[in-house]
Amino acid sequence: MPELSDIANQYIREEIEEFLERPEEIERNIALFSRTSPLMQEIAAALIDGDMVTVDQLTEKALEDGVGAFEIMDDGLIAGMGIVGIKFREGYVFVPEVLISARAMKAGMAHIEPILAASGVEPIGTVIMGTVQGDLHDIGKNLCIMLLRGGGFSVIDLGVNTPPAQFIEAVREHGAHIIGMSALLTTTMPNMAKTVEAFKDVGLREAVRFMVGGAPVTPEFGKDVGADGYGKDALACVELAKKLAVEVS
Amino acid sequence: MERTAISPAKIKLKGEDFTRLTGEWMTPRRRFLSALYGGRVDKVPAMTLSSVVTLEAMEITDAWFPEAHLDAEKMARLAGTAYEELGLDTIMPVFHSQLEADALDAATWWGTVDNWPATSDHVLTDPEDFKIPSDYLKRPSFEAALGAIRLLRKRYPDVGIVGKVYGPWSVGYHLVGIENYLMDTILDPDKIRRYLEVMLPACMMSAHAQLEAGADAIMWADHANRELVSPETYRDFLLEMHKEVTVEIGGPSIFHCCGETTDRIDYFAEAGWDCFHFESQVDPYVAKEITGDRMSLMGNINNPTTLFSGTYDDTYDACMKVLEAGVNGIAPEGSVPLGTKMEVLRALSDSARDYSDIHRPDGRLIVHDPPSNGNVA
Repeated sequence: MPELSDIANQYIREEIEEFLERPEEIERNIALFSRTSPLMQEIAAALIDGDMVTVDQLTEKALEDGVGAFEIMDDGLIAGMGIVGIKFREGYVFVPEVLISARAMKAGMAHIEPILAASGVEPIGTVIMGTVQGDLHDIGKNLCIMLLRGGGFSVIDLGVNTPPAQFIEAVREHGAHIIGMSALLTTTMPNMAKTVEAFKDVGLREAVRFMVGGAPVTPEFGKDVGADGYGKDALACVELAKKLAVEVS
Repeated sequence: MERTAISPAKIKLKGEDFTRLTGEWMTPRRRFLSALYGGRVDKVPAMTLSSVVTLEAMEITDAWFPEAHLDAEKMARLAGTAYEELGLDTIMPVFHSQLEADALDAATWWGTVDNWPATSDHVLTDPEDFKIPSDYLKRPSFEAALGAIRLLRKRYPDVGIVGKVYGPWSVGYHLVGIENYLMDTILDPDKIRRYLEVMLPACMMSAHAQLEAGADAIMWADHANRELVSPETYRDFLLEMHKEVTVEIGGPSIFHCCGETTDRIDYFAEAGWDCFHFESQVDPYVAKEITGDRMSLMGNINNPTTLFSGTYDDTYDACMKVLEAGVNGIAPEGSVPLGTKMEVLRALSDSARDYSDIHRPDGRLIVHDPPSNGNVA
């Protein structure tokens, strides 16, 4: 079984030691990073640190060195974002730090995405994402989208202030089966229920699965509005999407 | 559950008549203000410190969103339902969060009948470009809000009128955009300090104007929420500034910060706010333990699950639990969804009244003894 000392990068070792508490997460991350190359660990470390310029440069270098796009995405970018997500969940970092790391991830993904698109690899599924009608907040939604794409999903981003009809239209247009709805305001959360109802009205409810999330949203509220799952954060959103993708496949 | 046949508010009594005929020795206004300062009350106030506007209320008053945001008479009529229809001790006329931002040239989408206004585009990238327009307090959002406060003060001399100010941290979200603003708290903290510095006078002008128009207190919101930033961010960027605000504001101050704020309530008390309007994620017992007598606590009634999705009885029970914790007043935790039923909202004032009934030792409608000299409010 790999040990912490098997990870070459000191920054990564310290991050795991200092911020990870759950045994299964420690084990998983030690296993992950101990098998990745020093360059991937450097990319992950820079991403955790929010160093956009270094992530950009190292990603480019890795591609030039012949490292595969999937390897860079999984072992560098997503692996680093995984640590950030855990730190966020545990309250070690807050949204500003996550945004800065997400910005760094975006810089890396800008090199990766065209290669993935050209590779013809089938996505796990298509997810329609939008902030519900009346709500213009999109930080959480955008983080989810970034990780969903990194996790192998094709994501259609409907943006903010999305009326139910737009969700329906997008599902029809893209043949999607998973919908993610976000809301930051208690005043706009009821529009999640309205969206689910609108799908019932057009006979599409059974064909899709709804994920909900947002600062004031709770699992109970998700059930109340008829959603199929609730994601507390972006990492949970990806896990939920994977579960729902199996259900609708 | 037995409910009030008619709200005391419907009796439309004023001053001495109110107290004599209702058996309550405080008017709603005095009850609210006394509770805000942590003083004695005849019964615990049930209030709005945000918006309790609903589609039903719009129908009753024929004052509809979005027009009511920019029309003083409609705003006043609609806001008055908090007292007239719900029997609450306060009225809050500014329903939205755009008051200062709109007057500072943020692009505002004023919403629809069933959707709230919001900032649709951000206009500021450099604090040195920020200017307070010469006609700032004459801009449409202010004309409506200040006009509504004046009307309400005249119509309801015995009801608490609450003004609303978005502080410089929250105005920054509107003008700069929340993502850039939050990232700069780490990447360029001096820039954020400069934003706060230049925007603060605009927020103070708003507070002073609302107090001058007749508001009894100012609800000041700066959303340094746990969902967004650390408690140290509040301490490092806002604490000292808020200490100045609470001295300079010139009236009773109520601070609002959304979400689970347990880890920073101590800072809010240190800032000198008279009261904290807090959300349901915070355990009211813990909040009370942290604040002690330094700051009163109001709010704590959950919006989405209790008020919006729950029944009258659910809300009544939830209010009783919060009252038991010893808060100084109950209120929805924030602006209620427009589809919330008024019947459910009436549980706020009913529970506050019944809580006071339950706890009086001799069957009289008082929680604490009236003044020893026998004076009434």
